[in-house]
Amino acid sequence: MSINWSNLFLVAATSLGAALLVVALFSVGVRLLTNARQAEAKAKKGDDASARVEAISRTLSYIAFSLCGSALLYGIYLIVPAFHLTK
Amino acid sequence: MEPIIIVVAVIALALFFDFTNGFHDTANAMATPIATGALKPRVAVAIAAVMNLAGAFLSTAVAKTISVDLINENVHLGAEMVFAGLTGAILWNLTTWFLGLPSSSSHALFGGLIGSAIAFAGMNAVNFTKVIEKVLIPALFAPIIAGLAALLATRLAFLITARTEAQKNAGQTTGRGIFRVGQIFSSSLVALSHGTNDAQKTMGVITLVLVATGFQADGGHVEIWVILSAAAAIAFGTYAGGWRIIRTMGSGLAEIKPAQGFAAEISTGVTILASSNLGFALSTTQVASGSVIGSGLGRKGGAVRWNKAGQIVLGWLFTLPASAIVGALSAYLVMAGPIGLFIDGIITLAVVITIFQVSRRNKIGHHNVISEVEGASKAISSPKSIRAAAKAAEAAKKSAERATKQAASKKKGGK
Repeated sequence: MSINWSNLFLVAATSLGAALLVVALFSVGVRLLTNARQAEAKAKKGDDASARVEAISRTLSYIAFSLCGSALLYGIYLIVPAFHLTK
Repeated sequence: MEPIIIVVAVIALALFFDFTNGFHDTANAMATPIATGALKPRVAVAIAAVMNLAGAFLSTAVAKTISVDLINENVHLGAEMVFAGLTGAILWNLTTWFLGLPSSSSHALFGGLIGSAIAFAGMNAVNFTKVIEKVLIPALFAPIIAGLAALLATRLAFLITARTEAQKNAGQTTGRGIFRVGQIFSSSLVALSHGTNDAQKTMGVITLVLVATGFQADGGHVEIWVILSAAAAIAFGTYAGGWRIIRTMGSGLAEIKPAQGFAAEISTGVTILASSNLGFALSTTQVASGSVIGSGLGRKGGAVRWNKAGQIVLGWLFTLPASAIVGALSAYLVMAGPIGLFIDGIITLAVVITIFQVSRRNKIGHHNVISEVEGASKAISSPKSIRAAAKAAEAAKKSAERATKQAASKKKGGK
């Protein structure tokens, strides 16, 4: 019997790494977005600095979300063999 | 060439198994989003159905089933053998569904086929090394890997989105509700990967029978009508919704908040993807259950209902042997000839109808799937029939005690 331990370890490491990466990206997005919302409320009261903070946080959060989304798309790419039949 | 009626019966049975597979496993993807309120129950199962349907079409290149590996090459896989194996798989799948246990549909299928092969051709028919390698080892590691990933991911999500008291007082929210939006996508990914995996197994079984009986020249491709019918069966089953299992996984195992649900689903999806890319055939169900437990442990103050988790693990241990036994029993019936096959079919049908009838007594549907969390776990662990039986047993015991006491006092009086 040959249990492929190195493959098993690889599965464990990739799963762990990828799950943490995707969840971290989304969480960062969540944090930045709530920052932006908070700043937005202040900006409405005429605080210019807050308006800048809002713009930056919002942009960064959208970047984090789209990175997370691309990871998801990559996952779909992986499960559809039609995309990599060249092997 | 075997009589066409047997082939038709096997295909019908395979598609019915596919259907039970669908509604048994809806929970894997949709239990957590339903539990957190990210998706309405009926919307969730509709999305899962569409994703399963799409998944079944997306990946048809994998026609080789693992079941072929598990059974030695020199054994002739006849239609009758597959028929008997499928009845074992279906009966076990329906029983675990009735009990609300998220058990692996793939293990049920393998178990049924293994049992039937042993009955037909003896112990040598099964490649036990392969069984350990391809079924038991992954079954042991998959939930642990996914659970660990979900635990750490949950911790991380809560850590990153944490706010200090001062920030909270200033009106800053954690925004963790936003994870609900993410859940819609992450759960869809899980449903999609389920479709690419599990519909394949039915297609593989049907193709196997078609080749074995000479209706198809070689197993190199899957007929288009097989793809269509298998995809439709699993999607229809998914839409029917295995509400009992959704309830167990959504609220019976651990209370799930949106951030945990997202972490659990991502862990499930990623583990399935990573392993199927590296040739480990994992059970979607076991991975998903492991993730839910992991995310339950990851949140501070989050509790895991270990007795429920224990029941589930017990269900996993029994799935393969139990469906193997049912598969073997029906194989002995089928070996008796066409009449045996007919009787086996009737018995299976009768049991299926009985389970559906009994299940209607304490119906769990989209309307009550995640209400009364505490009640849920109770209702699942003791369905009405079992409770009634327990009451009756207790009453009988009491009356028996009374009778013996009376008899004893009479004896005393007599003396």
